[in-house]
Amino acid sequence: MRGGVLPPALLFCALGLALGCVRRRAWVPCLLVFLATLAVFLLVPMPRDYVEAIFFACWTTVIVTAASVYFVQRFGRWLPIVMSLNAGAWASAVVDISGSRLDVVKAFPCVLLALPASWIAERIGLIPIKVISSWFIAVATLAAVLQLLPVTPGYLPDHLE
Amino acid sequence: MTRPRSSFTSSARLFVVAAVLFSSPLSAHTGTGLPGGFLSGFLHPLSGFDHLLAMVSVGLWGAFLGRPLIYILPVVFPVVMVAGAIVGMFDVAMPPVEIVIALSVLTLGGCIALAVKAPVVAASLVVAVFAVFHGYAHGKELPSAADPIAYSAGFVFATGLLHLTGIGLGSLNNLSYGIVATRSMGGVIALCGAWFLYRAVYA
Repeated sequence: MRGGVLPPALLFCALGLALGCVRRRAWVPCLLVFLATLAVFLLVPMPRDYVEAIFFACWTTVIVTAASVYFVQRFGRWLPIVMSLNAGAWASAVVDISGSRLDVVKAFPCVLLALPASWIAERIGLIPIKVISSWFIAVATLAAVLQLLPVTPGYLPDHLE
Repeated sequence: MTRPRSSFTSSARLFVVAAVLFSSPLSAHTGTGLPGGFLSGFLHPLSGFDHLLAMVSVGLWGAFLGRPLIYILPVVFPVVMVAGAIVGMFDVAMPPVEIVIALSVLTLGGCIALAVKAPVVAASLVVAVFAVFHGYAHGKELPSAADPIAYSAGFVFATGLLHLTGIGLGSLNNLSYGIVATRSMGGVIALCGAWFLYRAVYA
């Protein structure tokens, strides 16, 4: 098992952390773009042949989005919007290919991580957010590498089944 | 401002005491055929005394060394641990992992006990080398988990929380006799590491 609510939840958490590092007035356009992209891409059926590529892109997006807490503040208001668009697209793609649309609804509260992240960024600084984002980078890197393994990972049926 | 810090510190102490009481030595890296899931991954670092003490030591040493290592070490560890896990997943041969893991507990505990003020690069390198071996041990087990992604998420988050526990314990340094307390903890950790090393070599 590797689909379900976990991939979009990790992606939304990473986006929440990234949005927590930008000014709050940038949140409205980001969330609008994010919701619009989610809605549009959930209506587009994804080709089943590309399941591995879609998962790989999803994990790469988690890595880039989580890593953006290190540089998102330097790139003005466009980078958060582009990241929101990218996150929405890959979250809906991965849900379409391996889960149900309800998983997006279940995972959506993870974006609200932006609220405590923003609070921490203002009062304590970016250090705790950078530490936590490194956890997401680590998990997504492991998940991406699992696809490249020469052995059968636990989520695939093997010869014993 | 001091009240939340002290309540966090006492919670962290309670957490570590409970985890130590309910964990068994050298049991974090012996399992195969993991049931695999978030909870299983989350509990895995807490069920092995060696991994638990090493993770707490990383945070504690970081807190002891102050900025910037207080946050560099907890960032370096999980990122490099992933590199070690990847090496383990590809089944690349490595020196005896259990010995190096025991050595990591001994070294990190010793650094805290002796109040070693390592420079940024040296401290990061020490932690990075040990992180490779901790990651390697878990990377070998990871692919067999039924849900390896949830398992790795639980495992990484538990590791991170253990670092934060170490940093919380390190905040004792701000209190009177705090440094004596943290150095004593380091001494106890180093003794445990010596015992793990003895077991790994002779048992």
